[in-house]
Amino acid sequence: MERETGVWRLVFLALPLGVFTVLVIWPLASSFYYSFTNWNGFSDNFEFVGFLNFKKLWTDKLFFNAAVNTAIWMVAAVLIPTLLGLGLALLIDSRIPGGSVFKSIFYFPICLSAVVVGQIWIWIYQPDWGLLNVAIGAVTNTSPDFAWLAKPDTALGSVIAAWCWQHTGLAMVIYLAGLTSIPEDLLEVCEIEGASTWQRLRVVIIPLLTPATVVVVALNVINSLKGFEILYIMTGGGPFNSSDTLAMHMYNESFKKYLMGYGSAISVVLFIVALTIIGIYFRELKKVDEIYG
Amino acid sequence: MARLVLDNITKSFGTVQVINGIDLDIAHREFVVFVGPSGCGKSTMLRMIAGLESVSGGRIVIGDRDVTHVAPSKREIAMVFQSYALFPHLTVAENIGFGLRLANTPKVEIDRQVGEVARTLQIEQLLARKPRHLSGGQRQRVAIGRSIIRNPKVFLFDEPLSNLDASLRVQMRLEIARLHQRLDATMVYVTHDQTEAMTLADRIVVFNAGRIEQVGTPIELYEKPANTFVAGFIGAPSMNFIEARIDSSGGAPIARFGPASIPLTGTGNRFPPGDVTLGVRPEHIVFAEGRTPDFEATVEIVEKLGAESLVYLQTGFSADPVTMRVSPEHPVKPGDSLPLCLDRGRVHCFASDGAVI
Repeated sequence: MERETGVWRLVFLALPLGVFTVLVIWPLASSFYYSFTNWNGFSDNFEFVGFLNFKKLWTDKLFFNAAVNTAIWMVAAVLIPTLLGLGLALLIDSRIPGGSVFKSIFYFPICLSAVVVGQIWIWIYQPDWGLLNVAIGAVTNTSPDFAWLAKPDTALGSVIAAWCWQHTGLAMVIYLAGLTSIPEDLLEVCEIEGASTWQRLRVVIIPLLTPATVVVVALNVINSLKGFEILYIMTGGGPFNSSDTLAMHMYNESFKKYLMGYGSAISVVLFIVALTIIGIYFRELKKVDEIYG
Repeated sequence: MARLVLDNITKSFGTVQVINGIDLDIAHREFVVFVGPSGCGKSTMLRMIAGLESVSGGRIVIGDRDVTHVAPSKREIAMVFQSYALFPHLTVAENIGFGLRLANTPKVEIDRQVGEVARTLQIEQLLARKPRHLSGGQRQRVAIGRSIIRNPKVFLFDEPLSNLDASLRVQMRLEIARLHQRLDATMVYVTHDQTEAMTLADRIVVFNAGRIEQVGTPIELYEKPANTFVAGFIGAPSMNFIEARIDSSGGAPIARFGPASIPLTGTGNRFPPGDVTLGVRPEHIVFAEGRTPDFEATVEIVEKLGAESLVYLQTGFSADPVTMRVSPEHPVKPGDSLPLCLDRGRVHCFASDGAVI
């Protein structure tokens, strides 16, 4: 009987495990494999080059540029939507008039694909008739024609702004759910103990929102690591690699320069970075679980 | 002096009035328990005293100060919640010293006061733990500690023992009683458990549908209930109610139900002829033992509780079983037919509107 149950377990697990193996394990293992080769992506003839691709990373200025941009991208793409989401959630939770309408409006962008969001913001950033320059012109009474996406100084920041616009709503909704799960009597204790609004926020609400923060940060980290499409649509990593991230650099090396082996080495580095972040996340999650259950 | 006065308090939610003109004067150091069924308004009343709920009408006075519209933190009250309301991210010490921390009290002073309170409640060894790692009883002690450290004039308890198991509840009840003896404070305690009310209270306030049904000492309420609601609510098991008819044709009033005729004490004027409800406590139904029985009843179920047995009786005059309290040694068993009498001096008589006659 027990053996029969075991067989059925294997049968039912076979399909998801098969899909997982084909779509995740196999490509991952392939990346590791090809990172030690000089494969160009097409030819059957390639050689094992050992750690040569990884050594090359140390001397690749574009890789370092992409790594710095990735760090900026990740910090901004995690911090800004998290903080804005928290702020908006607190504002809407304070029962401002029209709160539910604002909630829907702020949440709407997350329903759009990155390609659509990218295109909307390309229009907003248009030098001649884009909404941003028109708005700045209306306020300053000038006619600015600043090319936000075409300048190395502003390209990455402009894409980050578009990214934050899309992802703040999700953080807000998660924080709103977190706020509603704070027991009312804890807030009443604050009232009885005479906590000011700031004390209530700092000592009680923000710490009690830790489980929500863990979810928001995790989602933002994962999404930012995967944040390739919007960069590809809006800047393609340019101008002059100023918005090049590791994911973009990997794509360019693998599929534009046909250096699949080197691209795989970049993907391995990216994988290790992601694994480290996820490891830290799980460690923190355990701590949160110990406190909040 | 922490006298607490509730003066014609009303509370409405929209068009629904949930508290209907409560008047109550609670003396300094008095332990008053609000009891009543769920939704009767007792917790709402407590929350209004705390300032967590606004008052629709009337005045709340603590000491000599009208606090009706004063913020909760300025009322000199402390509240212990049913759920303990401990902050999960703070240690026991931080939870107890929460109010002092908010008031920017120096850390040395917070540590001293927290240590003192922890010694009082015997929770010194728990100070570094988080609430999640405490038992229900320990959590409740911490919640009480947080209220003691405020040194309030009035302690408010909102069903503080409801989440504890039966044995722990008895233990904590005792601790709260000790605390009351030790502290120079007035206490208002809300519960729906009438055993807690009877054991803790100097006075009990029985709430029903947003009104006070009766205020009195536990024994007053038990022995002289003002109406059928109080009579039925106070006492476990509940008072037996028997529909009867008063016959004063022969001079002295007689209550008749089924085959029974019970002469009532008092004059014919106090017991006007008509339908009434007789109220009899289970311990006031006794075996006839040679006397002429008032009625006979058949034993349906016997509950042996150790110190006593409860006997549920089928009678010809009541659809509900009549409860009787007997000695645990009594060999009564289901199916027995028992000749019984009422302890006539202890029979309560209620008019058709429920008020005691």
